[in-house]
Amino acid sequence: MAEVRVQCPKCKNQIAVQVRPGEKIPITCPKCKTQGTFTFPLEKVVQQASKKEDIVVVEHLSKTYDKDILAVDDISFRVHKGEIFGFLGPNGAGKSTTIKILTTLLEKSSGTATIDGLDVDVQQAQVRRIIGYSSQDVGVDNDLTARENLLLQCQFHHMPKEASKKKVDELLKTVKLIDAADRRLKTFSGGMRKRLDLASSLVSDPKILFLDEPTTGLDPQSRQDIWEYVIKLNRQGMTIFLTTQYMEEADRLANRLCIVDQGKIVAEGTPAELKARIGADKITIRFKANDFAECEKAKQLLSKLPDVEAVGECGTGLISENGLTIMTKNGAAIVAKVVRALDEAGISLEQLNLSVPTLDEVFIKLTGKTLNVIERKEAVKPFGRRR
Amino acid sequence: MEMVSETIAIFNRWNKKLLRQPILIFFNLIQPLVWFLLFTQAFSAIGNIPTFKLLTGTSSYITFFTAAVIIQTITSSALGAGLGLVTDFDSGFMDKMRVAPINKSSILFGRLFSAALTTILQVIIILIIGFALGVTIASGILGVVMILILAALFGIAWSGISLFVALKTKNQEITLSVGLLTTFPLLFLSASVMPLGLLPDWVQKVAKVNPFTYVAQAFQSLIINGFAWDKIEYALIAIVIVGALSLGASIMIFRKKIS
Repeated sequence: MAEVRVQCPKCKNQIAVQVRPGEKIPITCPKCKTQGTFTFPLEKVVQQASKKEDIVVVEHLSKTYDKDILAVDDISFRVHKGEIFGFLGPNGAGKSTTIKILTTLLEKSSGTATIDGLDVDVQQAQVRRIIGYSSQDVGVDNDLTARENLLLQCQFHHMPKEASKKKVDELLKTVKLIDAADRRLKTFSGGMRKRLDLASSLVSDPKILFLDEPTTGLDPQSRQDIWEYVIKLNRQGMTIFLTTQYMEEADRLANRLCIVDQGKIVAEGTPAELKARIGADKITIRFKANDFAECEKAKQLLSKLPDVEAVGECGTGLISENGLTIMTKNGAAIVAKVVRALDEAGISLEQLNLSVPTLDEVFIKLTGKTLNVIERKEAVKPFGRRR
Repeated sequence: MEMVSETIAIFNRWNKKLLRQPILIFFNLIQPLVWFLLFTQAFSAIGNIPTFKLLTGTSSYITFFTAAVIIQTITSSALGAGLGLVTDFDSGFMDKMRVAPINKSSILFGRLFSAALTTILQVIIILIIGFALGVTIASGILGVVMILILAALFGIAWSGISLFVALKTKNQEITLSVGLLTTFPLLFLSASVMPLGLLPDWVQKVAKVNPFTYVAQAFQSLIINGFAWDKIEYALIAIVIVGALSLGASIMIFRKKIS
């Protein structure tokens, strides 16, 4: 149920209505008594809900291992109900540690963290009833079949037998494993296991789903599948907290995200907001003639164009010696002007590239380093410590 | 009530895993069987020592030694209990169970009861092989049941030690080494390979505080002489002490969060 404000078409009166996503309801304006119906479109759910309340509230959270290794360093953030919230950062940034604290797997050193108003340390049992968690290492039992794995999860959530069977069938269909339902996981591919793992964290219809690097180590098709499910779940109203080391993933999925590095949040916002911090789109030009004087002339010309923020030095263009780089707020709109100006001056172009900022660049700007994404197997851990 | 259904769910999970790899049941039996077949042959002359017959009531060393083989079987499947948990830690399945709204003790009890069931199956196999080798059970079919009950209980208690090591270290090798390294010295420092009276003084002193001694003596009396309730009582006391300490420590360490 969400509260939506609807405007009366006649008297412009604002009416607050309680409506379920996708539901069509009759409305009568209390002022002018105009009658009508209102359908709450599904796509609006995310936006509407995010304006309401926070489901995760984290304040000054820190985690120290072995007394001196600071894995999470005084972080604070909020996750709104109904959104996909991303934690983006390299290995060792503290992403898994944070997610483990929120899912009650790990004790924090200081600070507070609540899920739906429940303290993750004090009210562990209640927290566990409302969350789903899919870990980095796929938590399914390879000796059991897909169906048995899910039924076991249902038993863990004390669901009645009949309801469990129905739920399991439904989930197997959702993750497209219904045909492999009674096969043991030994024969499953990595992507199939991950899909099953995701399904197994959904048996209890959690209010919030925690995904720790859901696509690390997966092939592109499986990654695409997981993204699709995540978006679908979110459309149905589920809040999702995910960590990732892939820019593209954060960009595609997250409504809002935190960029984390070395245990700290270095930036927070929507992907668009974060990219806007880099500021500029980049236009790279290469001239036909290898002529420095001509390049200088072009530079003078282009600097005068409105909206152009900066023009690089001649010869420092990324593409070749005889190139120029232009920084601008709105690349797409300015390309035509650039071409026209150069054409009028009789300078011929060989190549022109427009590139928009990526989260990658945001990360480099904020941390001074690039996100090295290396496909990895879990390293051997002495005594199995995980962070 | 919830804890019962959780424990049953986890118990069934382990049983299913075992049934799908039945080779594991026999794998654990290899070592006890080697002992059963070779050790008893090499040392069969012990049965001819007059005091041996006097102390044990039999001149067949293999009959006497059956108790030691049973204990070895119990300890090796107890070892499996801890190793299973380490596998769960490694695969991420443990985390999946820990975020589920279940009692943590259910995770341990489900594992323990399944290990106990394995022990019972293995001891039955040992007794059948023993029978083929000429070992008869003086206390009859009820005695066999009693042996299985004691074996299951001691199995649960002894599994607690391997659970503790597994939870503490989350490491296969350490869990395996601790399990193997404790079994042999304890067997030789108890009344399971030799009757107490034939052991050197200092070994006798150690053997008297060694739980293996009491469990072995209960098995020996059931196999050689028939029901001797005092021996069974001592065995139960030893089992309860070991179990209370090992399981108490395991549950305590497991309830604490892993940092």
